[in-house]
Amino acid sequence: MRSEHTTTSRTQSQFRIPHSAFRISGWAGGCALALVFPLIHPHPYHLDVLTTAGVYVILALGLNVVVGFTGLLHLGYAAFFAIGAYTYGLLNLRLGWPFWVGLGPAAMAAGLSGVLLGIPALRVRGDYLAIVTLGFGEIVRIAVTNLEPWTGGPNGLLGIAHPAVWIPGSGVYAFGVESMPYYYLVLAVAVSVTMVCVRMGRSRVGRAWAAIRDDELAASCCGIDTFQLKVLAQGVGAAIAGLAGAIFAAKQGTITPDSFDFILSVMILAMVVLGGLGSVRGVVVGALVLGTLPELLRGFEQYRMLAFGAIMILMMRWRPQGIFGHPPSSSGVSHGRAAA
Amino acid sequence: MSVRFLWALLLVLAGCGRQDPVVKLGFVAPLTGDQAPQGQSMRNGAVLALEQAKARGDILPGYRVELVELDDQHSPTQAVAAAKKLAADPDVVAVVGNLNSSCTMPASAIYYQARMLQITPVSSNPQISRQGFDTFYRTCATDDLQGPAAALFVARELGARRVFLLDDMTTYGRGLANEFKKKLRALGAQVLGHEGITQGDKDFTPLLTKIKALAPDLVYFAGMFPEGALLIKQRAEVGLGGRFMGGDGLFDPVLIELATPQAADGIYLTTIGSDVHRIPTAQEFVKAYEARYGSIGAYSAYAYEATSIALWAMQRAGTKDRRAVLAAMKTLHDYPGLFGLQNFDERGDSLIRDIGLFTVKNGKFVFLKTASWD
Amino acid sequence: MGLTSSILMSPFHLLLQQLANGFTIGAIYALIALGYTMVYGVIQLINFAHGEVFMVGAYLALTALLILGVAQPLTGVALAGVLTACVALAVGGCGMLGWGIERLAYRPLRRAPRLTALITAIGVSFFLQNAVMLLYGATDRRFPAFIPARRWEWGGTSLTLLQVVIWLTSGVLMVALQMLVTSTKLGKAMRATAQDPNACRLLGIPVDRIIALTFALGSGFAAVGGMLFGLYYNTVNFHDGYLTGLKAFTAAVLGGIGNIPGAMVGGLVLGILEGLGAGYLSSQWKNVFAFVVLVGLLVFKPTGLLGERVADRA
Repeated sequence: MRSEHTTTSRTQSQFRIPHSAFRISGWAGGCALALVFPLIHPHPYHLDVLTTAGVYVILALGLNVVVGFTGLLHLGYAAFFAIGAYTYGLLNLRLGWPFWVGLGPAAMAAGLSGVLLGIPALRVRGDYLAIVTLGFGEIVRIAVTNLEPWTGGPNGLLGIAHPAVWIPGSGVYAFGVESMPYYYLVLAVAVSVTMVCVRMGRSRVGRAWAAIRDDELAASCCGIDTFQLKVLAQGVGAAIAGLAGAIFAAKQGTITPDSFDFILSVMILAMVVLGGLGSVRGVVVGALVLGTLPELLRGFEQYRMLAFGAIMILMMRWRPQGIFGHPPSSSGVSHGRAAA
Repeated sequence: MSVRFLWALLLVLAGCGRQDPVVKLGFVAPLTGDQAPQGQSMRNGAVLALEQAKARGDILPGYRVELVELDDQHSPTQAVAAAKKLAADPDVVAVVGNLNSSCTMPASAIYYQARMLQITPVSSNPQISRQGFDTFYRTCATDDLQGPAAALFVARELGARRVFLLDDMTTYGRGLANEFKKKLRALGAQVLGHEGITQGDKDFTPLLTKIKALAPDLVYFAGMFPEGALLIKQRAEVGLGGRFMGGDGLFDPVLIELATPQAADGIYLTTIGSDVHRIPTAQEFVKAYEARYGSIGAYSAYAYEATSIALWAMQRAGTKDRRAVLAAMKTLHDYPGLFGLQNFDERGDSLIRDIGLFTVKNGKFVFLKTASWD
Repeated sequence: MGLTSSILMSPFHLLLQQLANGFTIGAIYALIALGYTMVYGVIQLINFAHGEVFMVGAYLALTALLILGVAQPLTGVALAGVLTACVALAVGGCGMLGWGIERLAYRPLRRAPRLTALITAIGVSFFLQNAVMLLYGATDRRFPAFIPARRWEWGGTSLTLLQVVIWLTSGVLMVALQMLVTSTKLGKAMRATAQDPNACRLLGIPVDRIIALTFALGSGFAAVGGMLFGLYYNTVNFHDGYLTGLKAFTAAVLGGIGNIPGAMVGGLVLGILEGLGAGYLSSQWKNVFAFVVLVGLLVFKPTGLLGERVADRA
């Protein structure tokens, strides 16, 4: 697809040392600020908003593997989030598994469903894939609502256990409704996922994904098993969403099917695009911006979502390529195709 | 920063200094999004309650009482964020909210931990008050009363033997329909089927055509009035006979307008509490509300009641302190509310458990009687 | 509506009734799907705000009725006059809205990556929804039925005048659009823009104006869909664009996005699938049923029913 010249020259940053050094110091600074923030500003509401935004960061990073790295448009990503949340919720309520034990299976269940969806769905190309994934998202949400004996139906799952940690010297500390422990939990997971994503983007697999994104035909001519790699991307992205789902379920204690609707899938996609497709730091920033904005706009009361919509439009006019995306090259891009 | 700005700042600060200190009452409901109609009619009730209390002077003396309205968009995540926002604001001593049980449930844990009085006007899921939170109160009856009351009426008085159930696949709708079904089966009536519809959907003719082929004596719908109105109207269009009954989610005059008075004629519905229009103690509210906002929404009166009680507890506490407000709430006895003398049980559930029974005649809700649930 | 027990229908007439019901909602989906498909055909953009334009169309038609004070079915000249006023306000207003959205929100992004416009579309969607909520209130509004309530019955199967009106409007508009695209100068310019906008510019085709016109035209179709939707269900809500827009988008893809007869076929197939799903299987699983068929179809025929292979995105 010709339009993709706009976003190709991305992975060569390691050759520009000053830029790279700047980038690393940016990451380090961001992490340091995130670490000390709750200590200098222990405001539970602000921490809760940031924790929720952190869950969005994890989700956006996962979707970025699918959409940003590999170029597969996915409109049902909230389904994997739901599968992770319900897997942990059910393992906890039915089998009494604690959070730390349930986290792995939640990610695995979501990852597996990503692979299982991918095997038939990735035969479909381009925008048709978007509608297949959208359909999948709706199917999962409606199934969760309707399978009342297992999922609690519209009531959802109530009383899911919060995490607990063992601290040497002071025994077991159980998370309650306090914001701070979740903040650090989400921060730790988000940082780990970010590191994994950065590494993955630069790895052999990551380069193969980029090749598929830029030109699938050329990639397969180079001997890349495009189908297998696309399924892998879907699986990895879904597993990350499953991780986020388990954390979300543990934080909320209650999950209901309406937390996982199409709007959520679209919002996560918007975070990825706003940050800059394929750019890990862009995605982190995009998720933080769109995740906190509705709370920041509370002062507008009824006009809140109106303002939110207007800001989304203006942001894209201001930086059409995303906050950290590369500006479109002026050569070789045909007008109409690039537009769409 | 200019000198003029500093002067202005100083003036503002001086202005604040002269006024009474602020004490806030939180209010959380879906004010935007698909449930905005219900949330906004609740907000109107809450605003009215505060204004009337102020006019009467029934507020915490020496303070300026403010209502902090927060939107939860009927999302549990946003309900938790809103709860934390209120909990973190030392000026907020109590909260009225939320609408949806799925939001009230996770939020109640945060208010409990913050030792903050929470009164939900209408979240009717029985589970919420069984968590053992002494901060939780509610002014409405729970679904395990309304459902059985409707079933008793259907089986004993309407004599319906073959019933088809519909709900809107929400916490509220499914919960109510299940309670109805349980009691109906116990009474020996036959449930021909139980189906869910999607909120926001408009076309129920395929489903109603299917039900028509089963020829039930009655169709019961547990859900909200926008879908209820379409079901009632389309039921007439496809020629589905038999009777139609619904829950309190239908109790909004807009239902009759949307469904057309002809199609709505003769339907039955239950409400939590009896008709506010008929309760002598509620007349002042009815007049004031209708003069200002038009027709009373299904939940306006409950929001009014919950807000009035929260304001009473704040006044009773006599000080801007959450624990004092909570302690004052526990002393509540025979509060003269909209629906009569209000008292709460040890779980925080209202002891006014009247289930009203209505029908529609000539485009108006007509009160039949107070229904019993056993 | 009496309290008499229903008359039992024969399975054949039941099926016929379900098909007629599905066909009607399918025809409305098709009208909205035309807008998705036209815009996609010309600039490969999924205009997610299109569902909201449809909703605005319903509200504009309602506004015309409120201004004229229409409350019950009309006949003759009055009917024609009201219908004209409704269509004029809804189509005119939505056409301008579509044009404005393209001009202000999408045109500045022509050279940006493909998905950028998606966020803008979501932004426009939020904006329009909430603007309508603030202007008209959050509660559902009654949409007066001004078409005479004539109905025909055949062995328990009934058909209303309005249903026939919806079928005819949808069919006529689709054929007109197809003719416009295949055999007028404007249509030729649209097809040329779809193929190669740069070459079009060289040939002196006003590409920007053609694209804006495509948006306006698609929005006009959505407005007609909105008016018929209001007439059929008699209620409108600011949230209506979401679910119906999603379904219409699905219909456009099902038929083969970018293909005008495809949008029609997709809309009708989806409407009938939903009708049969809710009528014979289960109402609460009807969307699952529709989507399973859709996914299955796309897996075996990855370009939709009548479509061509489309661009890969992101």
